[in-house]
Amino acid sequence: MQVRNTTARWGSVAQFLHWLIVALIITQVILALTAEELHGMAKLAMLARHKSVGITILMLAVVRLGWRLINPTPPLPLTLKPYERFLANFTHAALYVLIFALPITGWIMSSARGFPVSWFSLFQLPDLVTKNRPLYEAMQETHEALAWTLGAVALLHLLGALKHHFVLKDTVLRRMLPFSKIR
Amino acid sequence: MIRHFGLSRSLAALAMLLAAAAAAGAAVPTYALDATKSTLAFAFVQAGGHNQGRFPKFAVNFGFADDNLAASHLEVTVDVGALDSGDKERDDTLREADLFNVAKFPQARFTATQIIKTAAGAYEASGSLVIRGVTRALRVPFTLKSATEQGRPVLYMTGKTLIKRLDFGVGQGDWKSTEWVDNEVMVTFNLRLIAAG
Repeated sequence: MQVRNTTARWGSVAQFLHWLIVALIITQVILALTAEELHGMAKLAMLARHKSVGITILMLAVVRLGWRLINPTPPLPLTLKPYERFLANFTHAALYVLIFALPITGWIMSSARGFPVSWFSLFQLPDLVTKNRPLYEAMQETHEALAWTLGAVALLHLLGALKHHFVLKDTVLRRMLPFSKIR
Repeated sequence: MIRHFGLSRSLAALAMLLAAAAAAGAAVPTYALDATKSTLAFAFVQAGGHNQGRFPKFAVNFGFADDNLAASHLEVTVDVGALDSGDKERDDTLREADLFNVAKFPQARFTATQIIKTAAGAYEASGSLVIRGVTRALRVPFTLKSATEQGRPVLYMTGKTLIKRLDFGVGQGDWKSTEWVDNEVMVTFNLRLIAAG
């Protein structure tokens, strides 16, 4: 498999970034839900990991968007109906927005609460805003709402991919899978 | 009779000596804390993030004369329960039994047993610090700047000292771990002290 994208399929870098971000988003959900059940030191530890993984996703999102801009994008099949095309483009755009918006709202939320964000205790990130309790509460709600939105859009994305594979029987899913052959 | 007279004189002389010594001890001017212009702060690291907190309520008993350090004294008593870590929820956690346990140990206290001069305007107080009922020896370097404000002598005392929270048992159970909350806590103080009287 090539490193760069072709018009037929995603290259190894794009695939690696896609699946790594998928794994990290699932990790984030588990860390966040676990933290809600805990208190004290255990909660602190779980939220610290959640923040570190979130910042990792933000960094990967930057790399991913950059890589997309300097690579060809495998086009959608020409047979798609206009509503399908719209849905696909909308879903992809929303996912890109969300992998930036979720970490950034989380970061603002931490700053507004007065808890600086550190990346795995290796370095501390600057505070995006000064301490502000109402802003923290607003950001917490936004962060949570965006997380649910991401869940819904990701589900749509997954259903779309499965429809391409099983109903439309095209290469759209396989071109994002590392071990699949595309004729 | 002569012997008795001699004894009385000796006792009188001794009494005078003691009185003089007491006078010398009391001779150092005492200073009152200007609480509105003084801070006692602590810096700590939580999950890699640097945080600042402060103790808004504390009392200082300070008697000082540069030429009579032997009679100079310093005692700082802190109302631990009034702590402000910048987050109400965290303050509540800090007050709990596993951390400061303020219900049982409401106060922390530093008592200097000796003050020495280390350079012009620079001093070091050595003594004992009690937090959470645990006493540890501590040296606190500080500087003093004197001024006269509205006709009164004023001292500005500034310094910092690094303490380890676990030396005092601030962190029981899970909190004994230093993975998410560092052991080292930097305590800083900026005090405005006004000459009493």
